[in-house]
Amino acid sequence: MRVRVIAPSTRRLSRFPAVAAVAALAAIACGPERTPVVGGVAERVVSLAPAFTEILFAIGAGDRVVGRTAWCDMPPAARNVPSVGDGMAPNVEAIVARAPDLVVVYASPANTAAVERLAELGIRTLTLPMDRLAHVADAARVLGNATGVGDRAAALGARFAAALDSARAVGPPANPRRVLLLAWDGPPIVIGGGSFQHELVTLAGAENVFADLAQPSAQVTIETIAARDPDLVLLLEGEEPAWATRPEWQVVRAVRERRFGFVRGTEFARPTFRALDAVRSLRGMLDSVAR
Amino acid sequence: MGDLIFEARGAAYRYPGAAEDAVSGADVAVPQGALVGIVGPNGCGKTTLLHLLVGTRRPRAGTVWALGRPAADWRRRDLARRVAVVAQREEPVFPLRVRDAVRLGRYPHVGAFRPFSAEDDAAVDAALTRADAVHLADRWTQALSGGEWQRVRIARALAQEPDVLVLDEATANLDLRHEMETFELVAGLVRGHGLTGVLVTHHVNLVARFVDALAVLDRGRTVATGTPAEVLRRDVVERVFAWPVEIVQWHGVPQIVPLLTTERRDERDKQDERENGR
Amino acid sequence: MRRWPVLVAVALAALLTGIIVGPADLGLGAAVRALAGSGDPTTVAIVRELRLPRVLLAFLVGGSLAVTGAVLQALVRNPLADPYLLGLSGGAGLGAVAAIALGVAGAWSVPIAAAAGALAAIFLVYRLAVVAEAVLDTRVLLLAGVVVGSFAAALVGAILALSPAEGLRSALLWLLGGFDGASWSALGIFAAYAVLPLALLARESRMLDLLSLGEEPARFLGADVEPLKRRLYLASSLLTAAAVAVSGIIGFVGLVVPHAVRVLWGARHGSLLPSAFLLGGALLAGADAVARTAFAPLSLPVGVVTAIVGVPVFALLVRRWAT
Repeated sequence: MRVRVIAPSTRRLSRFPAVAAVAALAAIACGPERTPVVGGVAERVVSLAPAFTEILFAIGAGDRVVGRTAWCDMPPAARNVPSVGDGMAPNVEAIVARAPDLVVVYASPANTAAVERLAELGIRTLTLPMDRLAHVADAARVLGNATGVGDRAAALGARFAAALDSARAVGPPANPRRVLLLAWDGPPIVIGGGSFQHELVTLAGAENVFADLAQPSAQVTIETIAARDPDLVLLLEGEEPAWATRPEWQVVRAVRERRFGFVRGTEFARPTFRALDAVRSLRGMLDSVAR
Repeated sequence: MGDLIFEARGAAYRYPGAAEDAVSGADVAVPQGALVGIVGPNGCGKTTLLHLLVGTRRPRAGTVWALGRPAADWRRRDLARRVAVVAQREEPVFPLRVRDAVRLGRYPHVGAFRPFSAEDDAAVDAALTRADAVHLADRWTQALSGGEWQRVRIARALAQEPDVLVLDEATANLDLRHEMETFELVAGLVRGHGLTGVLVTHHVNLVARFVDALAVLDRGRTVATGTPAEVLRRDVVERVFAWPVEIVQWHGVPQIVPLLTTERRDERDKQDERENGR
Repeated sequence: MRRWPVLVAVALAALLTGIIVGPADLGLGAAVRALAGSGDPTTVAIVRELRLPRVLLAFLVGGSLAVTGAVLQALVRNPLADPYLLGLSGGAGLGAVAAIALGVAGAWSVPIAAAAGALAAIFLVYRLAVVAEAVLDTRVLLLAGVVVGSFAAALVGAILALSPAEGLRSALLWLLGGFDGASWSALGIFAAYAVLPLALLARESRMLDLLSLGEEPARFLGADVEPLKRRLYLASSLLTAAAVAVSGIIGFVGLVVPHAVRVLWGARHGSLLPSAFLLGGALLAGADAVARTAFAPLSLPVGVVTAIVGVPVFALLVRRWAT
């Protein structure tokens, strides 16, 4: 797992570009598996992704969260924390207004500018990926160390990892259901093997018909979907979509026979400790769908 | 001479948004079978008057008649079968073969749908021959020189088989030979084939040798109409063109000789002598 | 080069390719049998319900865009004119993006919203371009088109910036154009709607020849220029609006195809328009086949393929034109 920590000390060094460059290079070169405890325990944390907010509360550091994104709605207690707006390409001013000593940022090219701005202002940031189940325990560990509840976090992470392992140990059933994860209809966008939803579906004992796609999502044609003939179409919605009646979609057997699976709930949208609840719901849904 | 092809009386026109009339009092009469020239300095309203005569603009005062009807009331296609206009400038944007370009002159006759007949092709060939453009027939219009392009447009006008030919500065890009050929062509059509011709031009001296009548415009008004001999007098020319001139005669047609500044003094001296000697 | 045999052959080749080739690797024999209706039901359904209407729709849309491009180039006397120059692509994009962002319900909500946006843009541009005495000034038409298009694009940007992330990518992909929504009913609706404007434009072929010379020479040769311009503008705008509603904004076809035909065979509209229709249809049907097959199972927006093909072809044409 890669963690980048940009500490205020580099600011003083920036007067001497060569020294700063060497220091930065040293930090990167020695960086990867190390979790430096620079600057001590964080007391005021701004979380820029709903997954981080959930984890912070789960490991017992919820009282230190002083800022969250507008999308952070779990746990319910998080809604009492003031919002700083979007988590992607965030509003640096709103973050700074919360006077944080640590900002947790989702690893994405959209956020590099904000991270640099915060570094210039001397605010410590943690940039963490949150795209796969494995990232949940890693993030919990890092956040736990940063907020002084390292032991609690490690225990939670270990329990979670063990639960995942035993779920995996069950193994795929003999005749797994073939599932299409559809993110959008026009143009058709499917969820591929490189995504968290794919992991959930696989743990639930089904097969993603687009498991061969390495990327998290991709545009395909209806023809391709029809040829792969999924048993079930999984949608992140509540009810049968309008496009299900369109003539071109009737070529897909699962749409023609209205075999839809609806999953609502943020445990399906992002990796969190509730992922196993999601897997359980999926298992139940798959079992109830007739072949 | 018979009926009037074109007649303008007190015609006036102002372009939208302009401060003044482009034409403020024009009187012109073009009898059938005549060759008439319309001349005047830049900005005198010659081209605007032409637009009024062929009905592409409606006068805001006065009357303008073409072929027995108010000019602006004519349906364009009906008028195009009788009157062919070769305008001052045309910039081709898309490539066309010369033969196809000349064939466009048949459109007023064939309309939107009727296929081209042998007669149409014959008219195109005849037009190309008369305009001395046969050797250009298979070339692309993009590749022509300015003079060649102008001859092709004249051929197109001839392909319309009109009763009336109107040329607006149509010889501007032509060399001497082709300019003479054009004027002689038009004159020949008028004299020999009964067409009526209107020549709007800068080239006063040349046109005076061909036409039956001249109309001189100055700042939107007709200041003189009549035969070249009647119209091209020194006082009129000097006033309209704002330059001292001498009028000489060439085979009974007055020709303008603009005086050089040095010549001006000599001429004045000679004139004083003549007057004193009287 | 004999024109009509070549064009018909190219059109047929493109149609056949679109039917036989696709991301679902069916095999030549199976695909041909499926056309006749025999074979595995999924294969038959794919070929007859998805590929066939899709390739026909792409052909129709491509042909319509090429014809519209040719007409507009004559109308504004500018060889660089393109059906989307008149702002209606911006209007259509705005309608579609607004519908997606607002989550408007209904299976056909996006095409209808796109059509409504395009019509609004057509109306606005027309009003701006009619100067004194009901005269449609084609220079103002171009400028008005650019202005309205930019305004709509700015609004699209605002909507995309303010909308939740899921809508964003889909809206952008819709704007890039595609035939995923093709079906027999979509084809029927577009064909029924396109027949009238296409017929009207074809009827004006000779008048287009005259108009290409310039408004004044056209008048002297008998064209009734003002009503003609209005008819041409209206028919071509409506046709383009329908194309955008059914398949998004697909560029280059309307710009490049008329040029290619002119460079090869000249600019007489009586044959330019049908030639452009065949060539444009073939181009878009072929581009769609490439878009859905080249990186299978991944699918490219068809507008990307037409651009990749269109730009080098355009460069070649310009060089040939210049010499």
